[in-house]
Amino acid sequence: MTRTGSGLLLRIYMGVFFLYMFLPLAIMVAAGFNDYSPPSVTVWKGFTLHWFTELWQDRRMWSGLANSVLIAGAVIALALPMGLAGALLLGRLGSRAAGVLYTAMVSPLLTPGIILGISTVIFWRGLDVSAGLFTAILAQTTFIASYTMLMFMARLQRQDGALEEAALDLGATPFQAFRRITLPFLRPTILTAAVIAFLQSFENYNTTMFAIGGEHTLVTEIGSRMRFGLSPAINALGILFILATVAFALAWAALKAHERRAAEQAT
Amino acid sequence: MTRLRRSFGAPLAALIVLLTGIWVLGLIAAPQVIMIEQSLWKMDRPAGADELSVQIDRLYNRLDMLALDRAAARTLSTPSATDAKLAQIDAERAAVAAEIADLETRESTPVRTWTLTNYAQMGQAHLRIFAKTILAALAVTAIAFAVCYPIAFAIAKLEPPRRAALIMLALVIPYAINELLRVFAWQMILNYGGPLNAALGLLGIGPVPFLESGSGVFVAMVYAYILFMVFPLYNVLETLDMNQIEAARDLGAKTWQIHRRIVLPHARPGIAVGCIMTFMLSAGSYSVPYIMTRGTAAPWFAQLVYNRFFQASDWNVGAAYAVSLLAVCTGFVFLMMRLLKVRLRDIAK
Repeated sequence: MTRTGSGLLLRIYMGVFFLYMFLPLAIMVAAGFNDYSPPSVTVWKGFTLHWFTELWQDRRMWSGLANSVLIAGAVIALALPMGLAGALLLGRLGSRAAGVLYTAMVSPLLTPGIILGISTVIFWRGLDVSAGLFTAILAQTTFIASYTMLMFMARLQRQDGALEEAALDLGATPFQAFRRITLPFLRPTILTAAVIAFLQSFENYNTTMFAIGGEHTLVTEIGSRMRFGLSPAINALGILFILATVAFALAWAALKAHERRAAEQAT
Repeated sequence: MTRLRRSFGAPLAALIVLLTGIWVLGLIAAPQVIMIEQSLWKMDRPAGADELSVQIDRLYNRLDMLALDRAAARTLSTPSATDAKLAQIDAERAAVAAEIADLETRESTPVRTWTLTNYAQMGQAHLRIFAKTILAALAVTAIAFAVCYPIAFAIAKLEPPRRAALIMLALVIPYAINELLRVFAWQMILNYGGPLNAALGLLGIGPVPFLESGSGVFVAMVYAYILFMVFPLYNVLETLDMNQIEAARDLGAKTWQIHRRIVLPHARPGIAVGCIMTFMLSAGSYSVPYIMTRGTAAPWFAQLVYNRFFQASDWNVGAAYAVSLLAVCTGFVFLMMRLLKVRLRDIAK
């Protein structure tokens, strides 16, 4: 086979792959605008925004949204300090101890989400705390702190230690050096870690489902509505999720491009 | 520790150790340990419960005898002798009643027995579901790798960098969209009156009950988790020096030789991450079978675990099910690290 021949084949293959990735989403979006219930694209009854108004009036969705935001806020408040502490500790340990600690800290990322959820519930049940928002927060923090730890670790590896030492030589206390030098250096990572933690928490289904008991979040509520797929209001909500994701991806790309340009100018 | 204190000062160092400790011990380790512990015992009738009940029966008989004695004591000659006898009998009756109460609580309070029977509870049907779930997860992983390797390679090495970045940005969208939406899209497509059955109908086939037969779960699983393979592969392939490939080609290596000897060995950490993530997500997925079967097809393992806890309320057996799943996933992680000769440090980047 010639190189251009195989190149063409790869192009076609990639096109098919992209179609495979986007066509299902397009079908779901289309059903959200179709004036027909249950959600369908095979029966087309005309364009409508009716499902968005139905969604707007859905009380349980709003209470789920409130719970989701509450949980995500608590997860950020827990996972950021824990991840940062873990990353800072890792940098100051001997290689063997660091290896063990590192394995423990990334292990939640390699564990099925349902296990994280149910083990948290079992643990707190032993202490007479029943499953609810509290256990959902802790179960999510378990693995989201791993993400923030990895992000802080990557940032700390690029830190110039000389600056801190200079501050200490000039008479700053270790705490002052941390507050004035390390923390400002970490600020961009704190922001991105908070965004990632928020999204991971907000979007989480499997862990939350096993940890939350009788309460619900927006996403667990979507899950139970989807099972029977009765109203296209779910598709309308899906469209909102897709719009948010696209906006987020574009913002992220713009931020990365900005960082790259700043780095190029710095060198 | 001294290094830690020197760099941060004692209060901050203590805070760092405390926070890390709460996370690693309190949130990660303790729940897993308690879950494993819970899977290893069950509440049982106490040992010797049968003897206890015989003893209790005997004591009840004694109580009846005492009641008879009490009736007989009323006919005694002197009033003082009657009172003395009655007091004696009542004291004994109270003592016997107290003993009965004590033995009865001992008989009816279940005790914790250490046992492996929770694991044996799975039975044929559930064991088959367990095997089905694990095999499906392996198949999803294999399919994802076979489909994504050419994609990742083509984007990373054959496209100009600017275009590659754009393509990856486009892929972020289906990747970052909530898992439930990706699954729901396939529920619509595979539904009885869905577009796929409509298309098959034009060909004179069907309608095929994809959801009711359970085959829809597998299709949606591949779709939901396939992109967890693309990104790790792309990230490692991007760092591969194109000159290595060119050199191999100049030296006469064929395409498959280049991949086997250069590209695949370089991609090991990415392959490990992609396979571990895809497998772990598929094996532990609750959302996909929950939405795709609608309760009509046979359940998957994550659903069994959920039902043990929240419907059968059998927490010990539920814990044993969860530990079994955890063991398989941990085993898979070690297997991948061994096969691909990567360490955890290379993985989580």
